[in-house]
Amino acid sequence: MSDRPAPWIAIARYDAAGRARGSLVVTGLLSAFLLLFLAFFPSLSTAGIDLDAYVEAFPPAFQEAFGIIAISSIEGFLAVEFYQFAWLLLVGLYLAYLAGGTIAGDVASGRMDLTLSAPVARRDVVIGRFLGLVPFVVLLNLVLPVVAYVGVLAVGETIAVERLVAVHALAVPYHLACVAAGIAVSTLVSRPGVAQRVALGALFALFMFESVVASTDYAAVGDVSPTAHYDPSAALVLGEYDLTGAAILLAATAGLVALAVVRFRRADLSG
Amino acid sequence: MPAIECRNLTKYYGDVRGIEDVSFTVKDGEVFGFLGPNGAGKTTAIRTLLGFLSPTSGGGALLGHDVTDPAASRRARERTGFLPGDPGLDRDRTAAAFLDHQAALRGESSRDALVDRFGLDESRRIADLSRGNRQKVALVAAFMHDPDLLLLDEPTSGLDPLLQEEFAALVRERVDDGASVLLSSHVLGEVAALCDRVGVLRQGHLVAVESVSDLRSRGGKQVRVRVAEDVDRADFELRGIMNLRVGETVSFTWTGEYDALIDLLSGYSVLDLDVVDAPLEEAFMTFYDGDVPGPTGSGGTPRGDRAARDGDEQRDATASSGGESR
Repeated sequence: MSDRPAPWIAIARYDAAGRARGSLVVTGLLSAFLLLFLAFFPSLSTAGIDLDAYVEAFPPAFQEAFGIIAISSIEGFLAVEFYQFAWLLLVGLYLAYLAGGTIAGDVASGRMDLTLSAPVARRDVVIGRFLGLVPFVVLLNLVLPVVAYVGVLAVGETIAVERLVAVHALAVPYHLACVAAGIAVSTLVSRPGVAQRVALGALFALFMFESVVASTDYAAVGDVSPTAHYDPSAALVLGEYDLTGAAILLAATAGLVALAVVRFRRADLSG
Repeated sequence: MPAIECRNLTKYYGDVRGIEDVSFTVKDGEVFGFLGPNGAGKTTAIRTLLGFLSPTSGGGALLGHDVTDPAASRRARERTGFLPGDPGLDRDRTAAAFLDHQAALRGESSRDALVDRFGLDESRRIADLSRGNRQKVALVAAFMHDPDLLLLDEPTSGLDPLLQEEFAALVRERVDDGASVLLSSHVLGEVAALCDRVGVLRQGHLVAVESVSDLRSRGGKQVRVRVAEDVDRADFELRGIMNLRVGETVSFTWTGEYDALIDLLSGYSVLDLDVVDAPLEEAFMTFYDGDVPGPTGSGGTPRGDRAARDGDEQRDATASSGGESR
């Protein structure tokens, strides 16, 4: 009995192991995507077009949405073409979607019955399922900076390692918040397919809302969106690291997981 | 201390009744059967006892631990095994990975012995296993930590007859070792073969609790008679006759005195007569149909179900009407 791991560790480990292959595939695909964009950079920068003037002509909300500060430098290019789109939006939405299917999916499939017929607290299930997605977040943010660095060198450019590390270090709290939001939705909505779409849709709606209000007098209202607290462009292009934003995201993560625990504790397991 | 105590347990899903006012006790070392058609509330009762559902009212205890208190329920689950009829397993994991995980949650003192006994190939992906083999995976998970209490919800669905026998043998061994069992089924034979007592659930109500031996002794006689004359059904619709079927052969369950049966048959030229102990299923139906006060206005008696299932000759129209309405 005593040689058994804590249930939340066992659940996290089992979940992470089940995601191992998928995590590697997604990491590989995103690496390929990053390298593909980087391969475009030399032809873009030598084309003699003033791209910065071009993007400055975009409406403010558009610039905000895609974090456009400057696009002609390698940092600006990576920020706009990869981090703002793939890291903030794509990976964020995907994580929320994955997490949205966890608890609701287990309940609907009857897997939860087998888990909870063992001496496991509901809290342990929520925490275990949350932690089960953490290795994927860590893997993404460990592999991609290396790929980005090597890719940048390969196209004959240089990039500040510190900024590259920072943009990924700051991505971790953001990604964790996306996972936590998905877990919370998964305890609020009982049908797994619906929970996944709600988690994804809510995050996307918040992102758009934040983008729209950012250039108005009500920009502060946009702070409700997790996307407001992670700014890859600022980190990469300006070397500005939003540590407060990271702290807010970590607090939100804890809050959302706590909400999920409270919700799930009281829930009937009926899908 | 009873293994299971269920006190006025009631569970509504919104306005839909799952179970209502269900009370029973499973004694230490006893095998108690839950019998009833699908949708009668067997699974709801078991899942409420496991703490998966919170009761609308009432309560219960497993191994002395209050099921509505999460910490107490967890202590009970430490020593409980649960086998659902259609277990939710991770299709894309191997049986070994799933059982490793279950072992980490509950222990695995007799895992290897069970895997050997049921001939389970742990290396295969669960999605590639047949329904019977998937059921074996869940079975090993339910029994491998040598629980003191087993909650088995339609456990043998999906198992072939040979495996059902092996499963029954396993349950008996565990009971001999001191375990208590709550087993639900809609198959009387299964319940009768394993259980000491049977509780009948119908539309969420526990309508009767009977010992299997009582049920057998009260079962009456199964009579099959062939006569030369045409038979008027009304002549046989007497007190003491149940499950009447009138065709080329007249068959019924006789619960009265032999003399009265002889008097009845004396009016005919009997060509063939067969009187045997009613099989338990007949006995049960007799009992269920006649004596059990159930909710009023229900057309769906088990007898109707049975007639519909057998699909034979002339059925009692009133008994079979609405038999599928549940």
